[in-house]
Amino acid sequence: MAQKNSSPWVDYVIFGLTVFLIFCLIFESFIDLPGLVAWLGRWHPLILHFPIVLLLMSAALGLFNRMVPKLLLIIATISALVTAITGFFLGNESVPKGDLLMWHQWMGAGVAILAVLWYWLGTNHLQQTYLVKGIQVVLIVLVGLTGHYGGMITHGEDFLTFPKSKKLEKIPEDPLIYEHIVHRILDNNCIGCHNPNKKKGELLMTGIDELVQGGESGPALVIGDPGKSEIVRRLHLPKEDEEHMPPEGKKPLSENEIQILERWIALGASDTLKWSHLDRSEPLAGMVKKMMDSGTKNSWAKLPKVADSTLQNLASDYVTIKRIASNSQALGISVYLPPEYDPKNITDLKRIANNIVELDLSGIPIGEKEMEFVAMCKNLEWLEVDRTPITDAEFVKLTGLINLKVLKAYETGITDESVVVMRDFKNLNSLYVWETQLSDLGLSKLREAIPNLHIDYGINPELKTEFIGKDTIVDSIQ
Amino acid sequence: MEEDKTNSENPLKVNRRHFFSQLSVGIGSLALGSLLIPDLFKGSPKPLAGQPLGIPHFAPKAKRVIYLFQSGAPSQLESFDYKPTLTKRMGEDLPESIRNGQRLTGMTAGQDKFPLMPSAAKFSQYGKSGAWVSEFFPHIAKISDEICIVKSMHTEAINHDPAITFFQTGSQQSGRPSMGSWMSYGLGSENQNLPSFVVLTSRGKGNSQGLYSKLWSSGFLDSKHQGVLLRSGKDPVLYLNDPDGLSRSDKRHLLDHVSSLNKIHHVETGDDEIESRIAQYEMAYRMQMSVPDVMDIKKEPESIIKLYGEDSQVPGTYAANCLQARRLAENGVRFIQLYHQGWDQHGNLPNEMAGQAKDVDQASAALILDLKQRGMLEDTLVIWGGEFGRTNYCQGNFDPKNYGRDHHPRAFSIWMAGGGIKPGITYGETDEFGYNIVKNPVHINDFHATIMNNLGLDHEQLIYKYQGRRFRLTDVAGNVVNDILT
Repeated sequence: MAQKNSSPWVDYVIFGLTVFLIFCLIFESFIDLPGLVAWLGRWHPLILHFPIVLLLMSAALGLFNRMVPKLLLIIATISALVTAITGFFLGNESVPKGDLLMWHQWMGAGVAILAVLWYWLGTNHLQQTYLVKGIQVVLIVLVGLTGHYGGMITHGEDFLTFPKSKKLEKIPEDPLIYEHIVHRILDNNCIGCHNPNKKKGELLMTGIDELVQGGESGPALVIGDPGKSEIVRRLHLPKEDEEHMPPEGKKPLSENEIQILERWIALGASDTLKWSHLDRSEPLAGMVKKMMDSGTKNSWAKLPKVADSTLQNLASDYVTIKRIASNSQALGISVYLPPEYDPKNITDLKRIANNIVELDLSGIPIGEKEMEFVAMCKNLEWLEVDRTPITDAEFVKLTGLINLKVLKAYETGITDESVVVMRDFKNLNSLYVWETQLSDLGLSKLREAIPNLHIDYGINPELKTEFIGKDTIVDSIQ
Repeated sequence: MEEDKTNSENPLKVNRRHFFSQLSVGIGSLALGSLLIPDLFKGSPKPLAGQPLGIPHFAPKAKRVIYLFQSGAPSQLESFDYKPTLTKRMGEDLPESIRNGQRLTGMTAGQDKFPLMPSAAKFSQYGKSGAWVSEFFPHIAKISDEICIVKSMHTEAINHDPAITFFQTGSQQSGRPSMGSWMSYGLGSENQNLPSFVVLTSRGKGNSQGLYSKLWSSGFLDSKHQGVLLRSGKDPVLYLNDPDGLSRSDKRHLLDHVSSLNKIHHVETGDDEIESRIAQYEMAYRMQMSVPDVMDIKKEPESIIKLYGEDSQVPGTYAANCLQARRLAENGVRFIQLYHQGWDQHGNLPNEMAGQAKDVDQASAALILDLKQRGMLEDTLVIWGGEFGRTNYCQGNFDPKNYGRDHHPRAFSIWMAGGGIKPGITYGETDEFGYNIVKNPVHINDFHATIMNNLGLDHEQLIYKYQGRRFRLTDVAGNVVNDILT
């Protein structure tokens, strides 16, 4: 059936590629790819379809005792090798390699090497042995599994699982501590590896009962006793520790998240407890609030995209535009006074108004036009208009900036009339208004409207007197 | 990046690695080559960190730092670390179990006795936090609820130069970039018209140690990141003003022409330092406008001048520098480094330290209050501290009215405020002798990691490759001190 190979070059190519693949796999950790080769890896998702079809076809033909055309097997084998090698290049781009990728890599390499083995046996007149049949069966299984793992890498691990209830996007106003807070933390950080599909360390973390039941290291959760709960112990281990969770390479939990878990366990790990049930002095209330607040930070994720080139065009020697963090669309802008000031310096920023979350106009002689621009920055959280000539007439434009958290308006001409505007800033945490015309009455109205607001009305007068008065250092020693 | 392009295109920029990586064409040599030299195919060495430069890695709590460095090492035992045991056991020899083999400087190694010496300054508790502060610092005591006192700093260095170099650059040996340069490199400038790293120095009457420009050097980073020393008096920056008869537009023409010549030279040689030089000329041109304005204290109202103390009107004093620091911070300078010399009290400690404390106490506290009323404490990190601590035993003659203390690296106190640091807490503890740390030690590397964290930088991600080795401010150590963060 199988005839002696007519062209020795085919053998050489297959042999060469096989040696190279094995070489890559063995010396994986030493290999660092130049750009061009890494680019070759990008062809992996295209090429991989060939060996899947060709190998399955060849194996099926072989299993049904049909003649496997020599050319088909050659192309199938070479394409399997090329796919494995390009896949290796592509995989090397992501470090560290996850479990999925490792499995995919080794099974893919297995497919290629089995195909070579089959080809070699075929050229040596062993086409119809049981060994080859075995190889064909294993190949079919392995091709399927490799393909499945590859699919999970690109589409996500739960791509093929049945649809289940969607994750809650936003934490509700009055969250259930377990369902909306604790489970959310576990879901974001732990359940990826401790679910019915993976069950690392024999531990399931999908429900309270499962946590209590625990895994290899005993119960993960001891109700009412965080000190005895394995989950808490591991969270607190030093990052370098083997047993620290989440394991190396995964994002650790924030301090606040850890504290929430601990406190929730200490309070009895209830699944019916609501945030509103908690006493205000209970530390858990504050921690949960903090997490809910930080959720709003994620609202930055919904900001429109803004290109670096746009920012470069709008920035100048006197207008600094910075992203709040890398990969963030939220912008912080500081304006400094140029020798010749023109309102256009500021109003030109309209194009990116929606992205601005921090704006510093301190000391700039701004007027109505600029304040109209500020009013367009609907996502503004931090505004500095201190030491500017604004009065109530300009300040009223700010109505509707409900996301403001910090507002600096000291040394301006605003009066109690502006309190009406400020009363609607429900998210405001700090307000700086010394050296303004605001009266005590106006301020107390404001305090009523926004109870947690910290109003800075300058340095405490008594303290100031102590500083401005005579030096108080003891002379006893001298 | 554009920079990389010119680098790889310029034939003079080809080094051994480029040469090999271009020589080795084909897959076989790739495999062999990468086996022999692991990072042979690393490509261009520049984008190392995997994070873009000039932007925080994550949303920062602080945008700028004011570092009030107390050069010479103020004694923790007369400032923030209250040790009544020293009074009880005054004159007794320091138990060997406590000293535990700690090396000594040449200055006290010859002493046959190490008599414990209590503080000449009395301590009281202040504020809601009940922080212990000595009577040398009455104003700082009043703002104790705004600051976080760290009593458990420690270092390896035992002498001034390596110790201060360690604090400034993360290494005891000089040559690495200063902390401010790293921040400038990682975060970029907030105001194009001022340098992002500024240095102000002042000197007290106490025994002082030298300061050298290497402390604010940019090391192997681009020299545009180096600290700019602003002098007191008429010319904050030397030679910044134009000579008589040179108009600003003439100056502009001159700079444009020089810059075009420099650019030609840059194309020929590919030396990055030429680009830095062009940038520095431009910066100087803009600073001609911005610096006189920023440095003009006369614009400050009298109440502010008085808040910082009368000294703040005298250029070159610590108080004037503190006020200056606030003005620089308002104008977007990222890292403002003050040094106050004169804290090296090997003898005559009670007198000298009282004088030193008088220099800095009111102005430091006033700076905190002033920043707070301007809402700047929300995004400005203030740090106060020296390079190490001082021994709990007496150096020289045993006289409770006039004693000295030697260098002590194992434990000392600093304080921080604002910029994401919890106010009104005391962190870390030393033993009853004030000699060893018994709780929550904070190493200089941890200190650096924490500062970087608050500025939105992952200290493990801000990396610069130089001479074939990767460098970080924290080198291979450092843990963020999460307990003191808001």
